[in-house]
Amino acid sequence: MDFFHAHQAQHYLVLAALLFALGAAGVVLRRNAIIVLMSIELMLNAVNLTFLAFSRFPLVPNSPMGTFLSGHAAVFFVIATAAAEAAVGLAIVLAVFRTRISVNVDEFDTLKL
Amino acid sequence: MEVSWLHLLPLLPLLGAVTCGLVGKWLPKGWLYAVALLAVLLSFMVGLRAFFGLDETTQLFHQTAFHWFSAGSLRVDMGFTFDRLSGALTLVVTGVGFLIHVYSVGYIDEDPAYWRYFAYLNLFIAAMLTLILGDNLVAMFVGWEGVGLCSYLLIGFWFTDEQKAYAGRKAFVVNRIGDAGFLIGIFILFTQIGSVAFSQINATVVPLSVASLATLCLFIGATGKSAQIPLYIWLPDAMAGPTPVSALIHAATMVTAGVYMVARLSPLYVMAPGILAVVASVGALTALVSALIATSQNDIKKVLAYSTVSQLGYMFIGVGVGAFFAGTQHLITHAFFKACLFLCAGAVMHGLHGEQDMVRMGGLRKYMPSTRTTFLIATVAITGILPFSGFFSKDEILAQALHTKAFSFLTLTPRGNVHLTWLGPLIYLIGSFSAFLTSFYMWRCYFLTFSGEYRGPEDVHPHESPAVMTVPLWILSGLAVIGLVLALPPSWVHGSFLERWSWEHFTEGVFARPRGGAPEEFSALPGFAIALLVGWAGWACSYALFFKRGLAGDALLSEKLRGVRVALANKLYVDEFYGRAVVRPLWALAHGAWRVIDATIIDGLFVNGIPALVAWVGAMARRFQNGDVQRYAAVTALGVAALLYVFLVRGG
Repeated sequence: MDFFHAHQAQHYLVLAALLFALGAAGVVLRRNAIIVLMSIELMLNAVNLTFLAFSRFPLVPNSPMGTFLSGHAAVFFVIATAAAEAAVGLAIVLAVFRTRISVNVDEFDTLKL
Repeated sequence: MEVSWLHLLPLLPLLGAVTCGLVGKWLPKGWLYAVALLAVLLSFMVGLRAFFGLDETTQLFHQTAFHWFSAGSLRVDMGFTFDRLSGALTLVVTGVGFLIHVYSVGYIDEDPAYWRYFAYLNLFIAAMLTLILGDNLVAMFVGWEGVGLCSYLLIGFWFTDEQKAYAGRKAFVVNRIGDAGFLIGIFILFTQIGSVAFSQINATVVPLSVASLATLCLFIGATGKSAQIPLYIWLPDAMAGPTPVSALIHAATMVTAGVYMVARLSPLYVMAPGILAVVASVGALTALVSALIATSQNDIKKVLAYSTVSQLGYMFIGVGVGAFFAGTQHLITHAFFKACLFLCAGAVMHGLHGEQDMVRMGGLRKYMPSTRTTFLIATVAITGILPFSGFFSKDEILAQALHTKAFSFLTLTPRGNVHLTWLGPLIYLIGSFSAFLTSFYMWRCYFLTFSGEYRGPEDVHPHESPAVMTVPLWILSGLAVIGLVLALPPSWVHGSFLERWSWEHFTEGVFARPRGGAPEEFSALPGFAIALLVGWAGWACSYALFFKRGLAGDALLSEKLRGVRVALANKLYVDEFYGRAVVRPLWALAHGAWRVIDATIIDGLFVNGIPALVAWVGAMARRFQNGDVQRYAAVTALGVAALLYVFLVRGG
């Protein structure tokens, strides 16, 4: 089967993987805390895409969990959590910014004690 | 006959030792003395009761106190045998031991550690009785090690003095060499006979090779404990201990354990005539060498110590020529007069505030009449001048050596018959010459100490010891006199009431006869005549030199025999030789082993190496914890990626 013409989960999964990798790279490499938070959002959304892909093209056709709604439900949870996380994350960044006058994560290294 | 009270003999002194050792420090002095003395006295009473229970029908008492341990086919019981030999020795140990305990009350009274002293002394009696009464080799070995321990503890009694502590260590280490031989002997006997009990060993006929090897190994043990060449070097140094200890342990009892062991295993030893020859030769050589050294020592205790080594040599001559009764008989008489001599030396030192050098003594007969008289009696006894005990017991040994047939053994070697007929007379000659030397050095000791004028410093006023010390002296010197009853030739006392006290008659049936048979009947009188001549010759030489001239006699002797005297005064450099030949190489080996095995491998590789490795890993790992969240995340991501790779790609 030709990869580019098959309407299967692969396309979505590959796209999700690329997005996830981009997000992970952003988390690891970027120095700005805001950008890091945004990269986390990107990773979460890559995961959401995976959920939806498997919801549309289920691996087990007659799952007792229902055909596609469980994937959608999980996505909603993720969106809600991501919103909360972003709020908390931004609040932390704000708090740190007030004491350090900086959003450069390289300077936040007091975790090691 | 099986009885149930033999265990009391070693148990009572053991209880005394425990009491003195654990609570003695807080007991009033009188109570402590009462406990220590009563323990030994009661033990002596039990021994007496048992001794007089022996008769024609009851040859021995036996008790199996408890089953000690089993391993495979080895079964070891803690059992005691009280027969004529072990019974007599029990009486000697507890009797002389009690007298020395009494004496010690006067001697050690002012030492703050008197309670420790009596604990050790009681423990020694307990261990010695275990050694004597034990009915198997393992029980005997327990006692053997026990007396060794007490000897070590008491030599190093004043352990704050480095030299005395060293002397204790030396005794312990030298004895350990002998004990290794003893242990190997036990192992050989167990594998070949299948039992360690004396009754079994003595009833089994073993091949010549087994008997020779086992007896040789056991004899090595005896050379350690009984201070024979080549392991005699510890005994003179053992004089560092308190003098009553020298009398009890290093003269009268412990050092005779080797002789006792050979006599106990007489049926085994007569199966190995070659080893009997070794025993007798070692004994003769030791008697000669140590008597020579004794002639040139100035320390009164050293003279007595070498004299002890020499007399032990006589005992080994006795058992070595197959006359086990003669060896053990000399053991008993020697216990009396040598204990007396040592206690006299102790009294002299006590009266002179610790002086041991005979150069600073002299003329003490005026100040210490009791000590002087008892010393004189014991000297007469040891020098073999009529009529005291040493004369008969020593001459019996020499006569037996001259007439022995123990070395004329037949068809025992593959290459035919062996007749060492020359060995007996040779030993007789060496023994007689040693007897001359014995007489010479003992009279020298007597003259330098008690005759002439006092040569010590002005501020030391010699005085007689208290009665608690002189009474044991008198009793012991009395025993040294009446000990002669034991040693009278049986033909002299035949039919009289003394016959049953004659040791040779008394121990009939206890010892085995040598393979070559007992010596033929011989007349004792020529031997006595020669012995008397030799003894008086020694006295005459000593008298001419030391009584007439005092210290000048010593100087005269040194002038005539310069090199010999110097060598003898330095103990023939045996200690130095051992130091070079044995101690130094061993020391170097131990040092090397310490450097390589201990310092490098154990300390370096294990003790310090493993923590160093852990520390290094920690130092490496700590670089990862730098507080940078992004690096944590990167490492985590890489780790997850690696796991995914492993499980999904390679595992899938």
